[in-house]
Amino acid sequence: MTRPRLLTVAAIAVAVMLPLVVKSDLTLTILVFSFLLAMLAVSFNLIFGFTGQLSMFHAAAYGIGAYATHIGMRDLGLAFWPAVGFAMALVTVLSAIIGTICFRFRLKAFYFAVVTLAFAEMARLVAANWHGVTNGTLGLTLTAKPSIGWPGHAIAIDNTLAWYYLSLTALAMTIVVCSRCVHSWMGRCFVAIRLNDALGDALGIDIFRYKLLSFCIANAIAAIAGALYAHFLGYVDPSFLSVDQSLAIVAMVLLGGKGRVAAPVVGAIFLTLLPHLIHFNAEVRAIIYGSILILVILLLPKGIVGTAAEWSRRRHA
Amino acid sequence: MMKSIRASGAAALLALSTLGPAHAQETLKIGQIEAQTGPLATYGWINHQGAALAVDEINRAGGFEVAGKKYNLQLVAPDNRGNPQEALIQLKQLLERDRVKFVFGPFLSNVFNGVEPYASQNNGKFLLMGGATSMHAAAGQAGKDYVVRTWNWDGGEGGFGSAMVAYLKQQGAKKVAMLMQNDAAGKVLVDTYTQIFKQHGIELQVEMFEPGTKDFTAVLAKLAQGKPDYLFPGYVDAVLHDIVRQATETQLFTRFFLVRGSLAPGLKNKDQIQDYIVYTPKYFEEAEKTEAKTKAFVTAYKNFYKRDFPYDVAPLCSSACYDHVYMLVDAMKRAGTVDDVAKVKAALTSTPYKGVWNIGYTGSEAVFGFDVVHMKKGGAIKVTSVDPLKR
Amino acid sequence: MSQVIVGQLLNGVIVGTLYGIIALGVTLTFAITGIVNFALGAFMMLGAYGTWYLAAEHGLPYPLAVLVATLGTAVLGLVADRALFRYTRNDLINGLLVSIGLIAVLDNVVLMIFTATPQALDPPLTGSIGFLGVFLPKMKVVVCLLLILTVAGTWLALQRTWMGRAAFSYAQSAEGAKLMGVRTELLQSGVFVYSTALAGLGGGFYASLYSIDPTIGNLYVLKAVEAAILAGIGSIPGALAGGIILGAMESIGALYFPLSFRDAYGLVLLVLILLLRPSGLFAAQR
Repeated sequence: MTRPRLLTVAAIAVAVMLPLVVKSDLTLTILVFSFLLAMLAVSFNLIFGFTGQLSMFHAAAYGIGAYATHIGMRDLGLAFWPAVGFAMALVTVLSAIIGTICFRFRLKAFYFAVVTLAFAEMARLVAANWHGVTNGTLGLTLTAKPSIGWPGHAIAIDNTLAWYYLSLTALAMTIVVCSRCVHSWMGRCFVAIRLNDALGDALGIDIFRYKLLSFCIANAIAAIAGALYAHFLGYVDPSFLSVDQSLAIVAMVLLGGKGRVAAPVVGAIFLTLLPHLIHFNAEVRAIIYGSILILVILLLPKGIVGTAAEWSRRRHA
Repeated sequence: MMKSIRASGAAALLALSTLGPAHAQETLKIGQIEAQTGPLATYGWINHQGAALAVDEINRAGGFEVAGKKYNLQLVAPDNRGNPQEALIQLKQLLERDRVKFVFGPFLSNVFNGVEPYASQNNGKFLLMGGATSMHAAAGQAGKDYVVRTWNWDGGEGGFGSAMVAYLKQQGAKKVAMLMQNDAAGKVLVDTYTQIFKQHGIELQVEMFEPGTKDFTAVLAKLAQGKPDYLFPGYVDAVLHDIVRQATETQLFTRFFLVRGSLAPGLKNKDQIQDYIVYTPKYFEEAEKTEAKTKAFVTAYKNFYKRDFPYDVAPLCSSACYDHVYMLVDAMKRAGTVDDVAKVKAALTSTPYKGVWNIGYTGSEAVFGFDVVHMKKGGAIKVTSVDPLKR
Repeated sequence: MSQVIVGQLLNGVIVGTLYGIIALGVTLTFAITGIVNFALGAFMMLGAYGTWYLAAEHGLPYPLAVLVATLGTAVLGLVADRALFRYTRNDLINGLLVSIGLIAVLDNVVLMIFTATPQALDPPLTGSIGFLGVFLPKMKVVVCLLLILTVAGTWLALQRTWMGRAAFSYAQSAEGAKLMGVRTELLQSGVFVYSTALAGLGGGFYASLYSIDPTIGNLYVLKAVEAAILAGIGSIPGALAGGIILGAMESIGALYFPLSFRDAYGLVLLVLILLLRPSGLFAAQR
């Protein structure tokens, strides 16, 4: 097994055993939030880090996933997991439509960001104004809890420890899926698109198809993350789909490192933990947050993981 | 050997004497979850200011005594910036790490919605005393004994909304245009007042705007087409400043009716306004001159914070603020416990309190006296005090 | 009825010039330094706060306050350029992200000093003019005219001055310009700082019309970027026109559709333009 994979597996093992040592419900709650946000970051890395497209629609996929899961249960009478499946399907269809519009018209990097931003904002406005379905800006209180198992022997996920393991498992599965994508023929196409899509096109790669694929897979995973996050928090509102949320995801990926599948997890955990480690007032925290973002981009372009990997490579060279 | 026995006996006596209840003072932690910074922070900010002032006064007076034990207070008040996720984590910290049983706040509806599931899971272990509009629905419900809503409710029979609209009807209003933020609190206000206006037989036209809007000219023109008598605008001074200014500049509206916000936007445009009627929990500028407790509060604030008294936001101290800390301490004394949450709640909600405000409770929701401030063209002000408790 | 439409059209044009001045900054920055500086919204906010602080708290006459605030913003722009944006030339994504980090820092410094409570300047000019049956606030009309003058002045400057000609040649061919002896670093810094000054000026005018709080820049810069893209990057009169079109559309739209969706019209238009005519409505090149 390669070193990065070994490290990832070791980290997961540590995470699995952590609750044996850490009993604080508070810490575990923060970690659950971190794992779910890490799912978002890792899936975003697929479209941003590997395929090189800055999509501002990711938070929208996350928010729509949350809302759609609830609506699936409330209005279509589905159970939790089928409702999540419904949400995934809905987000995938939306991604396919938006992706087709963007990629068919061959929008270049910056314009792609602006158009996805526009669609995300439109989705947020719909969520904020469709009072009958989404309760507008008041948000929805979500009381449903998922359960694992088969009828008769299901374990309800209704306490922090159970959520901890569920979110950890979901994160691990996300890493595996993304890793499989990246280390396959599909992944190599993604990288080709990022490096020079005109050349890739000339070489016969169907860049439209692979861009669309990367976009849809990333958003589908984001939808699952959204469904889980909202049901853990017990609440969803249109701010889930906001630009701020999208930017937070970008920050996580950049901080962790955008060239590696599991690196964004580091960024996600760091940025979620940060407000609780630093006990300054809100403004000072935001200033620190902004400064970290600037410093990472100017000084640590490979992110924490990437830079650490380079140091160790140089030391061993 | 006799010497050492005597010595250890003396030491023991000395040690025992310091353990006497008359000398021990425990610290009782109370919590506050508010948005002290951020765009909607005016409520949370003043609530924190008032509560901290009360805690300081109580401690400097030597603390308080409950069931023979002396206590002083420690206020743990993290800032959630209006973010429900942060508020949830902070509430967990308060309950689990600080073992707090009495929490003030939140004033923001979205924050309450975010902490409600967790709070309900811990029903019976603590009290959450806040003014959020969305707390109204939960107050008094089964399984939600932790909810104590500390602000006047607009709707219902004893609600101040009805009193305000009745006053408006006396002025001869037949049609009113409502312009409200499209957010959690704004939506509840629209729902509540649609009903109240209907009950009083006044026609109501409603338009909502995205938070962050600054230019209202278009929507004002749209509303003006319906030729309403009064404009009933949004709920925060920031927004009101722009709405009132633009409404008078374009000469589309000259009469305003408000149930939130202060008199300040009206005063700024007093020469273009016919009528400016606003609900104010207390018109401090006048109350300071006529009420002893209000005067004392203003003076104490200025001495403690060494800054000017914030007249425009002070009325918001009518919820989970200065008076309420004193009320909590009173309730604990009467209930004879600082731990039994149910007993404290019963004591709190059963006895009226006369502080800066005149506060009582119906069920789990507060009722307090307020002022209707009516400003006429040129700045002449008439204040009508309403006290729902004097029945 | 048509009076209402005319009134809204006029108002939309006025509001649009404010979008336009920031859009001008956006388009200049993009054409010459290759990044979209979202922090221009934050600079606008600084200009607004600077003007308010000097005029309301220190009694400076309004025009002087605007001038000083604009210069102050330009100085800050210079610092930002030398410390940060110098390293992100032509790197759209990094430039974007650094500007977002900068927004967080600037917004929160102002928040710490002045709190979130909105502040309002007493309008230096009160009263309204009756025009075609509607009442337009005098201050708005004056601001609109001044901004149009500024844009015209910028366009003239670009035609006549050294920096202007250098900018044109750089926009046509970066390497060519360098070979011809244009000091591109100086040019890029200069344009960047000028854009922040424009934003600061816009903020100073904004302060006379609306209440200010630390977050006003964020919405404005988004509108400005929409306007700039609408018009086509690199066209100066186009930036102003784009802003006006956006402003007018929003105002008219608000008359007939729910106000809550006002921001959506700009977005829909933007998407359509980007798909059908990506170089924008007024761009010289295709």
